[in-house]
Amino acid sequence: MTSSSLLLLLILIAAISYFFGRKRSEVVAQSVGGVRYLHSLPNYYGLMAAVWAGIPGFVVLSLWVMFESTVIQGIVASSFPDSLKALSESQTNLLWSEINNLRSGVITNASDPALLTAAEQLTALEDRSSILKTILTLGLAGLTGAIGWKLIRPAQKARNQFEAFFRILLMLSSLIAIFTTVGIVFSVLFESVRFFREVPFFDFIFGTKWSPQIAVTADVPGSSGAFGAVPLFVGTLLIAFIALLIAVPIGLMSAVYLVEYASSKVRNVVKPLLEVLAGIPTVVYGFFAALTMAPQLKNFFEGIGVNGVSSESALAAGLVMGIMIIPFVSSLADDVISAVPNSLRDGSYGLGATRSETIKQVVFPAALPGIVGGILLAASRAIGETMIVVMAAGLAANLTANPLEAVTTVTVQIATLLVGDQEFDSAKTLSAFALGLMLFFTTLMLNVVALAVVKRFREQYD
Amino acid sequence: MTDQNMNAIERLATVKEERMKAKLGKRYAKEKRFRAYGVASIVIGLCFLAMLLGTIFTAGWSTFYATEIRLTVTYDADAIGVSDLNDESQLMFADWGALVKNAMKERFPYVSGRSDRRAMYSLVSSVAEYDLKDRLEANPELLGTTEEVWLMADDEIDALMKGQVDMSVPENERRISDLQNSLVESLIESGELKKSFNTTFFTNGDSREPEQAGIRGAMLGSFFTLLVTLALSFPIGVAAAIYLEEFAPKNRLTEIIEVNINNLAAVPSIVFGLLGLAVFINVFHLPRSAPVVGGLVLTLMTLPTIIISSRSAIKAVPPSIREAALGLGASKVQMVMHHVLPLAMPGMLTGTIIGMAQALGETAPLLMIGMVAFIADIPSGPLDSATVLPVQIFLWSDLPERAFVAKTSGAIMVLLGFLAAMNLLAVYLRKKFETRW
Amino acid sequence: MTTLAKDSMEAVFEGWTSTVGKPTMDSDVRMSTRNVDVHYGDKQAIYGVDLDIGKNEVLAMIGPSGCGKSTFLRTLNRMNDTIDICRITGDIILDGDNIYDKHMDVVNLRARVGMVFQKPNPFPKSIYDNVAYGPKIHGLVTRRAELDEVVETALRKASIWDEVKDRLDQPATGLSGGQQQRLCIARTIAVSPEVILMDEPCSALDPIATARIEELIAELSENYTIAIVTHSMQQAARVSHRTAYFHLGRLIEVGKTDKIFTAPEHKLTEDYITGRFG
Repeated sequence: MTSSSLLLLLILIAAISYFFGRKRSEVVAQSVGGVRYLHSLPNYYGLMAAVWAGIPGFVVLSLWVMFESTVIQGIVASSFPDSLKALSESQTNLLWSEINNLRSGVITNASDPALLTAAEQLTALEDRSSILKTILTLGLAGLTGAIGWKLIRPAQKARNQFEAFFRILLMLSSLIAIFTTVGIVFSVLFESVRFFREVPFFDFIFGTKWSPQIAVTADVPGSSGAFGAVPLFVGTLLIAFIALLIAVPIGLMSAVYLVEYASSKVRNVVKPLLEVLAGIPTVVYGFFAALTMAPQLKNFFEGIGVNGVSSESALAAGLVMGIMIIPFVSSLADDVISAVPNSLRDGSYGLGATRSETIKQVVFPAALPGIVGGILLAASRAIGETMIVVMAAGLAANLTANPLEAVTTVTVQIATLLVGDQEFDSAKTLSAFALGLMLFFTTLMLNVVALAVVKRFREQYD
Repeated sequence: MTDQNMNAIERLATVKEERMKAKLGKRYAKEKRFRAYGVASIVIGLCFLAMLLGTIFTAGWSTFYATEIRLTVTYDADAIGVSDLNDESQLMFADWGALVKNAMKERFPYVSGRSDRRAMYSLVSSVAEYDLKDRLEANPELLGTTEEVWLMADDEIDALMKGQVDMSVPENERRISDLQNSLVESLIESGELKKSFNTTFFTNGDSREPEQAGIRGAMLGSFFTLLVTLALSFPIGVAAAIYLEEFAPKNRLTEIIEVNINNLAAVPSIVFGLLGLAVFINVFHLPRSAPVVGGLVLTLMTLPTIIISSRSAIKAVPPSIREAALGLGASKVQMVMHHVLPLAMPGMLTGTIIGMAQALGETAPLLMIGMVAFIADIPSGPLDSATVLPVQIFLWSDLPERAFVAKTSGAIMVLLGFLAAMNLLAVYLRKKFETRW
Repeated sequence: MTTLAKDSMEAVFEGWTSTVGKPTMDSDVRMSTRNVDVHYGDKQAIYGVDLDIGKNEVLAMIGPSGCGKSTFLRTLNRMNDTIDICRITGDIILDGDNIYDKHMDVVNLRARVGMVFQKPNPFPKSIYDNVAYGPKIHGLVTRRAELDEVVETALRKASIWDEVKDRLDQPATGLSGGQQQRLCIARTIAVSPEVILMDEPCSALDPIATARIEELIAELSENYTIAIVTHSMQQAARVSHRTAYFHLGRLIEVGKTDKIFTAPEHKLTEDYITGRFG
């Protein structure tokens, strides 16, 4: 039986258990003088019965589904002849795709007879697994369902039990945040470690030449030099810097105007309009950058006599990214500036300061931690942004600080290295995870610092 | 009193008026300038918005219209080479293109010569013949008869009709020859060329031919992906928010969870893609390119948004309601389920809709898990290979044909339309259920 | 307020078009207001107040909460300008100039009429920069030495110099509440104002800090005109020369402080100072 139909069946079993559990609680209540002498309402007895019948089966089923293919592959692989076991990982991957093709009938002639056996073994194992899964899940559901049924007595604290179960469910949901972080850390760390076994860490961090495509095709000595990530870091920072150069002044001044000068009417219209910019998907910005901004910038610079402007210039990507971040900066700055207590403004106005003097000399210093935090968050955003740079910045890993040349970024490389089919052992693919590790930790540091700074700022004026 | 006997402030009083006056003009000029910077910033921001939307709307508008050519088609059995429409072997080798070619030859008998003929044939979309095939298979009695049909024009002709072709450049530098232009003009004159609403765009999947490419596949892919995301992230997010607000003890673990949620909200989306690739695809061997994996990744991505907004919705429920429920003897779970949750629900829904809108616009993590392949089929479930709207936009934006620029812009307009609708719904919900306690 | 209560209040005001006691002074007037009305949107907060404030005088304004005394104080240096919906009519004359005249510059005005607020509000800067802020923005000093001197004098006058002279470069937010309030007074003095408005300057302070501020007010009255809003009748009695009693936006009575507190002429004033309401 397929897993999804098993799941539906489990739900059905749980629903039936609920119904009968409820009924049974009413029946057993007769012996003690009626439903009002039960510990809990019949509803809760039904719910507990459903939990007993459904949950253990569900847990087993999900574990089975998660690990089924890994275990089966392991078993099949362990029965490979030694000649196949000795193969490298990429060759093994090829073997697996050949086995799968044999099974689906795409090819009929195997390069090695052992593969045919393996394909048959795989099919047999999967069939057995499917049967076992069905028996185990349904058997367990029946068994625990029976236990749940037996447990129904007037004295059973069904409500308390169900609520305890409910609380555990809630807690597990909140733990997903931790699991996600752990998952991210492990998935990037694990593959990165494999990458650093092939390419020394310092060559990666300090190398100035990046050409992963060449490194794969040519098994020439010294190809490890092609994994120097410095050009990517520089490109990332260059584009992020341009973006912040646009977004910070515009975002900040917009926020200042909206908080300090604008009437509530203007504010109510302009603020949502600016926030529309934040709601536009990044792929749209990418399209705009590649199709409109880049050619126009090229034309503009050629018009004023600057030649050699790349059509995938860092400037175009940075500029558009800056536009994207404007509402981000302005809404953070808006919150922070609004949080500066009015008593400070009054103090300054009371001394005869103008609005701009008050803003520059009293409000800004007071809001500074919050603004810095906001800028750090914006920087983290700019560094991690992918689509705009993928579409507008290109792949050329030039080590340059000239915004009119093409540069590439960490995110662009991750995206291009991992799009399409890839083998999971080549340094080329693994390097994407190493870059992901760098990206994750950089943005994590920025976020932690920024959130701490903003939190401290908020506490100061609460 | 002499100067020496005065203290500094008394001395100040004597020069105050004069010195202030000297500086006042400058100060007001500065004030004006500062204010102007503010106005300028807002104007620049809004200009960017207008420019962005303006470019996309002007480029994308034409996508919603398509050019069609009216031809008098004779379903000639000999020309197709099919005498029996039920004979599979005949259908395999049928020449459907001949129908279009014959009709064109009949319409323009004066066009002769191989290359001129070819130019003439290419007025009609290369896929138009399949429309005729479908029509004939659906109505076998048409075989041997003649009728007028509207067929889709080639994308170059479509572009010409939309005024996107500059006819003033030398003939060999443009993609429409003078002959083609004259044919089109004669078609226009006789009313055999029309613009109509482009239903193909909404009913077809992806295609290599611009005039045949549609967004139905991507829209359904987005739909299934969001369905999975919603089904997972809403219950989990709400449950997590309830736990953190109502049940969590104030301890280290809770603190770690909270810090984690806040940080995850700011982790770059592409990192979630790496997670999806490494965990869902490589460890759990879930199918690549499937909306279910996309949905899982987007769930992890949108959870922080939903948890954060759900928590503030729960926080906004006044303690008096909780006390009232507890005071009547409700258990804590009953209090939450019967009183707090219903009151916080509008706020939670608003947050969820905003989270879903984010997920709908997300591209980068989906590239990682293989939703970026060329998929012409329309997905029929969350396990089929599919792509989503933003990824479709990304794919089209890379294609060289000019017509795809319009298609991309058109797809963006559809995407923005969905996003606007979702956000307006969120605003409406917030306004409608806004309660001031 | 219920309609009934409001009606009875209106009845109390019936016929009271002028103030009990003398709102005006014959000589040495620094500021005077004539027929001042203040509206917040549709709501009227101040009704036709006529009041004079003399040179080197401490005038206390008392009254129950919400009587408009703070609002009135804020009109005296146009602090209400920052509130959009606030509308002010009538004349307020400072040394012969109408401060609501369109030629009157609000920056200039506030440099002449300084203000100290309810809650100490030092800027998030060093102690020195807090005091130097006013002279700097107005361009009152030309040399650093001159500024140093002004800061020191202001701090001395606010009798806080001895406590902070060794840590002028430290943030002002590190001072205690009473010190912060004296710093704010020093900050106001540093621009050499003619009038200092104080809006319940001691309400956020402990009794000892309050006593020091009260001493300070007495010292400052030698050189400055001070208008102080206070919630505490004892404070008004201790620091002021004259006292004005406000009730529901109207000036009820004004006169020598000892007279107001011993022999008020109006029933409302008497009720208030005897503690029947407030």
